[in-house]
Amino acid sequence: MANQHSITSADEAKQHPEYLAALKELLYQMADDDFILAYRGSEWLGLGPHIEEDVAFSSISQDTMGHAVMFYEMLEELGEGKADDLAQLREASAFRNAILVERPNGTGHYKENPHFDWGYAVTRFYLYGLFKQTRLESLVHSSYQPLTLAARKMLPELGYHLYHWQVWMNQLAVGSQEGYDRIMQGVEKVWQDAGDLFVFGSKEVDMVKFGLIESGQTLAQRWLEKAKQALDACVLPWPGMPQTTELSGRAGQHTPDLTEVLNTLSEVYRIDPAANW
Amino acid sequence: MSENKQTFSVYEVFSQKSPTASFTHQFSLLAPNHEVAMTMARENFMRREPAVNIWVVKRDDIYVLPPEERPHLERMDNKAYRETKGYGDLQAKWRYHKEQYERKNAAK
Amino acid sequence: MAQQLHAVTGTAYEEKVAQFMARIERGEKIEADDWMPDDYRQQLIKLISMHAVSEIMGALPEKEWVPKAPSLRRKLAIMAKVQDEMGHGQLLMRVAEDLLVPLGKTREDLLDDLFTGRLKFHNVFHMEAPTWADAGVIGWLVDGAAIITQTMSLDTSYAPYARALHRICAEEKFHAQHGESIVLALAEGTKEQRQMLQDAVSRWWPALLMFFGPPEDGGITSNQQLNMRYKIRSQTNEELRQAFFSKYVPRIFHLGLTLPDETIHYDEREGKWHYKQPDWEEFKRIIKGGGPCSKERLQLRRMSYEETQWVRDALLGKGRRAV
Repeated sequence: MANQHSITSADEAKQHPEYLAALKELLYQMADDDFILAYRGSEWLGLGPHIEEDVAFSSISQDTMGHAVMFYEMLEELGEGKADDLAQLREASAFRNAILVERPNGTGHYKENPHFDWGYAVTRFYLYGLFKQTRLESLVHSSYQPLTLAARKMLPELGYHLYHWQVWMNQLAVGSQEGYDRIMQGVEKVWQDAGDLFVFGSKEVDMVKFGLIESGQTLAQRWLEKAKQALDACVLPWPGMPQTTELSGRAGQHTPDLTEVLNTLSEVYRIDPAANW
Repeated sequence: MSENKQTFSVYEVFSQKSPTASFTHQFSLLAPNHEVAMTMARENFMRREPAVNIWVVKRDDIYVLPPEERPHLERMDNKAYRETKGYGDLQAKWRYHKEQYERKNAAK
Repeated sequence: MAQQLHAVTGTAYEEKVAQFMARIERGEKIEADDWMPDDYRQQLIKLISMHAVSEIMGALPEKEWVPKAPSLRRKLAIMAKVQDEMGHGQLLMRVAEDLLVPLGKTREDLLDDLFTGRLKFHNVFHMEAPTWADAGVIGWLVDGAAIITQTMSLDTSYAPYARALHRICAEEKFHAQHGESIVLALAEGTKEQRQMLQDAVSRWWPALLMFFGPPEDGGITSNQQLNMRYKIRSQTNEELRQAFFSKYVPRIFHLGLTLPDETIHYDEREGKWHYKQPDWEEFKRIIKGGGPCSKERLQLRRMSYEETQWVRDALLGKGRRAV
């Protein structure tokens, strides 16, 4: 990782085909993770447990989508096509997000009978946030300079999100028996998909070799430590090591929920992608 | 207050725009406690302006001047001696002394 | 010391009202903890709590389009806009809640009044928003109408309401531009996009006319009279509607759009707009909860509130966990 040659621009990256392929794969994973989770956050808008929290939560969804936009724009610079097309016109099998972020907020639809689960919202956003923090901290030393700059910019915003969720998780887990039970159910649900976060797909070896990011296993270790501290602080039991998941989001394997998300996201744009909206 | 009528409290939110600015009152919100109030303060009232620090204060802890005393805050308009506008003649005096000095030197 | 003195003097209610009216006429601003006549408080509660729940209900029709907005930038902008609407609801709720303190009522009671239909919300938020163009028209024209009524109230005699409105109006300028940007993109777009826009404008027109409330036809209601005497608001429904026409009708025509009213025109000599009245019986039915989306939106709001009751209970430490 340390003594890698640093790549300073998209044009320079394009001159090294293997490097470029690994970089694009990594960018898709990060863009799609943030984009789909921000979408799930946006479904909560207007339906939160307290008006003030509804407002606060929406900023987190916006910031997260803002980060996705930065990654899509980096892909655009690398010749992958328009950022709007990348977000809205790819098929589900082309998406590289982890399964965790595509899971629905609960049952029902955001327009009709949304039985959304706030316990899952808090735990998913918090534990994903901790994962994202380990990933961005690793990117600060990436060989691709535009990525190190972006990671440095994103980290303070992410820190603010983590502060938010940490307070909420603690308040709910300690506040009442029902709060504790709901948070524990959320943790267990997140745990079923957590293993998938650290699988970086077929290009992982190259990503590490080119100094783009450290290995999934290294990041998983760091995340486990952070998660352990977080759960300890709320006096929550440790659920053990997350198991390997059945589906691998990074390999383009997804649940039918993602297809539904993508249909909704692109419903208007697909009327006429060539038009100005 | 009975247990089932227990509700959130009012917290007043203050923020500071820059390290040299004073804290400014923004608005109030409902929260169960200080910690949760703080997680919601910035996004409710400072979505588009900078904040380098934030205070949340439980409204019950603020002692307010009673409404009937507020009219007594009005002062008579006779405090010019405290303000710069009470010293408007200084510039003219300095000019006078400068001219006197220059005239004396010119005469030498 | 001073408090004792007042207690001894024991001013009669009428005298207090006279003193209060003198303050209003001098243009002084009233604070939540100032003494105020009961009907002043009642008028404010009625006006501000309706305004508050309208903002919160108003988030729902637009929220439907948040995930579907057709570009990354639009997705972010409409999310920010709907977030602001919820934020406006928060500001106004707080103002209403402080007025309700002497009556022993809280936010829970306000929401309960909304769910049971005692507290009405604006007619426009009972309507359908079936296409993306509706999201644009809501931003451009519904927010445009709101800017006109809210700007008129900036000078209200009730200071906490004025402070909330100053924040709201500053953000509404962004909303109007957000709406204009969507509408202009559609107006300058393909034939299908223009048609989508025209349909949305035609669909929203009667609701926009209704937004300002029925015209006074010479005699203004006791409700409006009271609000004007107390300087809670300063213009009539019809004056506001006329201001809306002057600002928006020419722009609608400049875009080559038509209105579902062939009679609408400005009479230079009279200095006013003539237009076809909407169905005011329909208006009454809508705000009583008989609009096309009234029931489902209230249901959505009620359900999300009830299903998250455990969150608020947990935060208050109800049923504390034995750690």
